[in-house]
Amino acid sequence: MITQEKYRTTVKELLANGTIKMAIGYRPGSTPDRRRPLFIRTSEEADQLVLDSTCITNLSGYLVTEGLLSDEKQVGIFLRPEGIRSINILAAEYQLNVDQIVIFGFDSTGREVRPLQGRNAGDFSALLTEIKENPPLTSKEPLLERVEKMNAKERFDFWQEEFSRCIKCYACRQACPMCYCRRCIVDSNQPQWINTSSHTLGNFEWNVVRAFHLSGRCVQCGNCDRACPVNIPLRLINQRMAKEVVDGFDHFAGLSPTQEPVLASFKKDDTETFIL
Amino acid sequence: MSEPFEPKIVAFVCTYCTYAGADLAGTSRLKYAPNVRIVRLPCTGRISPMFILKALQKGADGVLVSGCHPGDCHFTHGNYHARRRWMVFRALLDFTGIPPERVMFSWISAAEGSKFADLINSVTEDIRKLGPFDQYQELITETESPATL
Repeated sequence: MITQEKYRTTVKELLANGTIKMAIGYRPGSTPDRRRPLFIRTSEEADQLVLDSTCITNLSGYLVTEGLLSDEKQVGIFLRPEGIRSINILAAEYQLNVDQIVIFGFDSTGREVRPLQGRNAGDFSALLTEIKENPPLTSKEPLLERVEKMNAKERFDFWQEEFSRCIKCYACRQACPMCYCRRCIVDSNQPQWINTSSHTLGNFEWNVVRAFHLSGRCVQCGNCDRACPVNIPLRLINQRMAKEVVDGFDHFAGLSPTQEPVLASFKKDDTETFIL
Repeated sequence: MSEPFEPKIVAFVCTYCTYAGADLAGTSRLKYAPNVRIVRLPCTGRISPMFILKALQKGADGVLVSGCHPGDCHFTHGNYHARRRWMVFRALLDFTGIPPERVMFSWISAAEGSKFADLINSVTEDIRKLGPFDQYQELITETESPATL
């Protein structure tokens, strides 16, 4: 509560003195434990701001909305540590200029919300390094372990079962801050790489491609998991790929705004044990 | 009497090394298994993971991707980029249940005609032992668009 009040005041101040043109935060949703994004432009709108432990959505995707940052004015945004990592990745991929982003960082343990020190993406490097060293456990670990123990055939069946529910709504794509392509590969039809019908093969291909494009970029915010209307454990694949990239290339996505994207860089001595 | 299973293998190769290696195998009159369909691309860096998925979608039992040895790339570092991409993509396929034995990667230079012939032979044998990729064929059948390979 105190954090919420403090941030309301800060947002009002920054809006009033013209530092930021807008702040992106949370407001009450349709049920008590749901939150909606709030775009604050005036002091009255700032009064609707809510900040508690149920504010879990990673809002950073809104920053790449077309035209939002093109006037070079600053925008404030409420972010958890994962969100700050997303901002770093977007900056590293030249999708935004970090100098335009004012970060209102927060994190929560249980129901307690606490603010994070810092306003600019660069201020959080110590915190992010700490997260790299001690990554927080997610609820997916037991499932990940179970899937890894399966043989290829069981894994194939496991994922077919999961993907067979997919209805190709692309909510996972819309919810993901990293999926900002103007034209997604599934929307192109010359050539059509992926079956667009929602039969199991098309679903499989879509989900593999989605996971590949997020390899080394996903920050485990869980937006895709929560957006999926049929509860496919999408984050599980992303989590596995994040592990691969950390183990293989010591790349923890989103550490700094100048970090080179892992699949757009290389080292001459990268492992190649699998190459015949 | 049933005919022995002949695997369908798609090879994505770079034009400067592996394709030239395949050419050398041909001009040296080396015999290798006819199961491979070669697709020539400018560089391994051009080989998108989409190609591999597409090959499987069209009914391939195995996919081989091959290019210049590290340091030999015509474009200086296309194969270094490709190597990282493959490593991640391979792990992804493994995790989603595509047996890694079906998607193989190799370096073959323009001078390695005999390595090319040997590799094609051994890859064909390996896939023959694994048998047709039935799990994937079922999915292709479900789409009602025939596998054209």
